Amino acid sequence: MTELHDLASLASTFTAVASPFRTYLAELQEKYQALMTGVVADHINELALADPRWFGICVVTTEGQTFEVGDCDKLFTIQSIAKAFVFGLALEDHGREYVNSKVSVEPSGESCHAIVLDETTNRPYNPIISAGAIAISDLIQGKNATQRLKRILDMFKRYTGRDHDINVPVFLSEKAMGDRNRAMAYLMRNFGMVSGNIEETLDLYFQQCSILVNSKDLAMLAATLANGGVNPVTGDRALEERYVQDVISVMLTCGMYDASGNWVYRVGLPAQSGLSGGITAVVPGKLGIGTFSPPLDPKGNSERGIKVCEDLSQDFGLHLFNVAKPERVLEEWIGGAEGIDDW
Amino acid sequence: MPKVVSLHSYRGGTGKSNTTANLATTVAMQGYRVGVVDTDVPSPGIHNIFGLEPESVTKTLNSYLWGESAIEEAAYEVGRNIGLSKGKLFLVPSSVKADDIARILKEGYDVKLLNDGFRKLVKSLELDYLFIDTHPGLSKETFLTIAISHILILILRPDKQDYQGTAVTVDVARQLKVKRMLLTINKALPDLNFAALQKKVEETYSVPVAGIFPLSSDIVRLASEGVFCLRFPDHPVSDEYRKVAQQLMND
Repeated sequence: MTELHDLASLASTFTAVASPFRTYLAELQEKYQALMTGVVADHINELALADPRWFGICVVTTEGQTFEVGDCDKLFTIQSIAKAFVFGLALEDHGREYVNSKVSVEPSGESCHAIVLDETTNRPYNPIISAGAIAISDLIQGKNATQRLKRILDMFKRYTGRDHDINVPVFLSEKAMGDRNRAMAYLMRNFGMVSGNIEETLDLYFQQCSILVNSKDLAMLAATLANGGVNPVTGDRALEERYVQDVISVMLTCGMYDASGNWVYRVGLPAQSGLSGGITAVVPGKLGIGTFSPPLDPKGNSERGIKVCEDLSQDFGLHLFNVAKPERVLEEWIGGAEGIDDW
Repeated sequence: MPKVVSLHSYRGGTGKSNTTANLATTVAMQGYRVGVVDTDVPSPGIHNIFGLEPESVTKTLNSYLWGESAIEEAAYEVGRNIGLSKGKLFLVPSSVKADDIARILKEGYDVKLLNDGFRKLVKSLELDYLFIDTHPGLSKETFLTIAISHILILILRPDKQDYQGTAVTVDVARQLKVKRMLLTINKALPDLNFAALQKKVEETYSVPVAGIFPLSSDIVRLASEGVFCLRFPDHPVSDEYRKVAQQLMND
């Protein structure tokens, strides 16, 4: 039985490499590699060192098939992409009502770093803007700082199926440059929205932003959500099933910062973007997409990543509200059905 | 739509390279543009049949896999070497330099590159057919080439070791969802009952036998210096190559 399983699993690796869908992704990568617009984030020195040519695209299906093209093993810090997932952990720790009493789920329409709270409730607008993410980090349980961080790292491991490290120089830089976040934390403590231990919570926030991931991890994060919270390769549950919709909705409405409206209109996929140049996008029930390319548009989203998601969404009809027959049928392209001329 | 044909055998010495060269040449003779890639990096050899001298080879499949050249730069037009009167025939050889073989065995390579390279080659040389010659046995190259082929040809001799190995390969090929599989039986003793042999093999594997090639002293005498079907076009073995090639083209 093991033997058969080994053969099936090895064979699946090769059918994924040979799949017309992977050829499609390789052509997409080649097409947008030439796109040289966008600016690499430079608010901290380590991010500014990124090579603007780095470009990886990975797609993982809910069946666990993995399609990789380009720089899929290149590690980078996860930045804001962590926020949606840490929000899921807070929901597991406290339940929906309590978490919502601390952080709203309204798109803010403001930049990610705006120092602004809802005037009537004093809540940050959503878990993705910095203020909301700090308040969410405050909710993560654990005996001490180490254990709280370990719970976050363990959670990412359940999503991606591998251990994650923190990029310490990035963490220290974020911490050193973190006065704006510190100001927000104090403002929220003033309103009683976060607990007393601000430095520990901020450390946890800066650490979660400094977790090292690659494009494959981003695809796996999204595929796990697409698969109802269970990693499709390892079979490990990463998030309670009932909270999957919470995390995905927040990604849809807030994940692309103040470009979220335009994103939903054009791409129509719940996604979360990070300043290192990563995007993780969910196609519920079908697959997860992870892209990495450091140059960002003025809204802070990866230029090439946006293009890749736009094309995938249009070509395969992946927009959440699409009812038209797509140009290409996803299952046929993945399985290499007869008649698909990918040569 | 271009067609990819992989030739494979579980064990060595079945006549893979000779079969690949003859089928590729027979197809090219119909006026097609045909490419051949030697993915047998540990023991390359098909370049001899196509009269490509190692001294005149600067770029190889190895150079492509190491990112030192585009795959089409490693493609050599070999039609003139073998006296091909119609069609076009290109060969991408593997390096025969001991250092290069050692390097590729030691470092390995990303099998995705092989897939991308095949596709680039087909596009840039506008190939109608791509033939892939492989190393015997199962390896990542054979898994990949089987997975991407439109047609897989498995070569076996009437020999117990080959029978058993072919069964394993057929299982693997089915798992890899190969689109079409054919068997050819090589080096059959001429006094065997070919019809009975074909029936038995087809029943055993549920795969059609495309051709049976007798053990031929004429092939041995040519000793890989040239393509048999061009040197001896009227030989019964060349007829058999044409029969198999026709099945590839009909498909």
